[in-house]
Amino acid sequence: MPGKRHDIRLTNLAVGYGGTPVVSDVNVTLPGGKITVILGGSGCGKSTLIKHILRLHDPLSGAIHIGPHNIMELTRRQWACLKLRLGLLFQDGALLGSLTLGDNVALPLREHTRLKPREAYELAVSKLALVGLEKFAHLYPNQLSGGMRKRAGLARAMVMDPAVLFCDEPTSGLDPINSAELDQLLLELKERFDITVVVVSHDLASMRTIADHVVVLGEGRVLFDGSRDELEATRDDYLRRFLDRLAQERTAPRLSTSRLDPSLLKMDCSELWEQVQE
Amino acid sequence: MNQHTDAAESANALTPLTLLGSKSLRLFSEMGAMFLFCLHAMRLIFSSWGQFPKIIRQIYFIGVKSVTVIALIGLFTGMVMGMQLYFALSLFGADGFLGTGVALSMVRELAPVLTAIMVTGRAGSAMTAEIGVMRISEQIDALEIMGINPMSYLVSPKMAASIISFPILTSLFNLIALFGGWLTGVLLLGANEGVYFYRVQQSLEWDDISGGFLKALVFGVVVCTVSCYQGYFTHLRRDAVGPEGVSQATTHAVVMSCVLILMSDYVLTSLLW
Repeated sequence: MPGKRHDIRLTNLAVGYGGTPVVSDVNVTLPGGKITVILGGSGCGKSTLIKHILRLHDPLSGAIHIGPHNIMELTRRQWACLKLRLGLLFQDGALLGSLTLGDNVALPLREHTRLKPREAYELAVSKLALVGLEKFAHLYPNQLSGGMRKRAGLARAMVMDPAVLFCDEPTSGLDPINSAELDQLLLELKERFDITVVVVSHDLASMRTIADHVVVLGEGRVLFDGSRDELEATRDDYLRRFLDRLAQERTAPRLSTSRLDPSLLKMDCSELWEQVQE
Repeated sequence: MNQHTDAAESANALTPLTLLGSKSLRLFSEMGAMFLFCLHAMRLIFSSWGQFPKIIRQIYFIGVKSVTVIALIGLFTGMVMGMQLYFALSLFGADGFLGTGVALSMVRELAPVLTAIMVTGRAGSAMTAEIGVMRISEQIDALEIMGINPMSYLVSPKMAASIISFPILTSLFNLIALFGGWLTGVLLLGANEGVYFYRVQQSLEWDDISGGFLKALVFGVVVCTVSCYQGYFTHLRRDAVGPEGVSQATTHAVVMSCVLILMSDYVLTSLLW
């Protein structure tokens, strides 16, 4: 089983669904003990890539090495053991709705360890304390805000002391303060537990705060693989537009559609609409 | 050009046949997948001692929470049977056989079938919706990432609980339906009480009771398999996605369960009696 600080090596990897590749020709190494941010526009296959790395789906071709192990060649039992050292924070937390936060975080401990239920719960609460949610252990996921659900998801991903932590868009949908707090939390977790972190994001501010290494996806392939400083210094046209948040140039005017005619409404709102317009 | 036209025409002529063939293939393929799904779920019932509390929770949900509805349906079914049979048998002066009619129809047929259909509506649909929502909100993926087998965590306890609960609920249905038959036949319409219970006792043989239990057990497996399967594979549905997919899966699970209950009832009745 891999210890901590093991690289994740993707070789000639093609991932996709139903035989259709979403990202192909992936040849990158995500360095161990560092934070790698996989960057790219919406729908470019970032989440697809990490779900394939975690074998939620089988890759179309290629190899995935975590440390010395090609995970495609592991037996079911070996993969089950290795999986316990991998944590994933889902985009919206993916907490089980029928369990409280404490029980959600305690679930892997109850299933995989010989801890008594009480001990597992106490350990889960201590993990919730890492993300500042220990006082909310008795609440259900639907009683929490989006940011709290993400932090609880992070506590659950960390509960088995993973060697590699994957985070799927941890800051999406959060306000700037909560995003910054989550970034700090990831940096602290990496330092404190000496783990490898892989973050999928399109949040440039977050990338600039946490990334040691950056992989940029786009057009169905890897567009960039290198350090954050190298990325900032790039002269590649697409990457510069992405980093400088410049809109794609359009040949046709965007605002060419006509305005909605109030007379088309089923209700007669014309008088009210005119008053609001004034 | 002519060749292309001929090919297109023959394809058009084959369309209904092709459609029927592809639908049949899909149906058989789904049945096979469901059978394997069922075997897998059953095998995982005994995977660890940790299954025990989950099974108890599911028995509470599937069994205990269905008691009221089963009692009500049993009571009124028994009352209707008591009334109808009394009127029919009185025509021939055979109202003494009221107990026989009520007991045999309930124990052999109505109790297992109606119990299964009622539990399908109450618990089967809930199983599909619960698992379907977990599927579309990535909760099942989360279980897999945590190294927890979703089949073992979600489906097997429900399977075990169905196998235990269905026969018990069927027994309850039988008891209350016999009481319902007594209520209308004896208390309201004036059939002889002693004869009613004597006929119930005399007409029922062990084969009738064990056959009824066997049916309940099979129906339990059928309902649980169909309901959990439909929820588990909600994301692969072709007709709808997301919340609409869950609602379609739930409807499909209820309809398919009811059809399979009645089909397997016919097969079992032919084999047993």
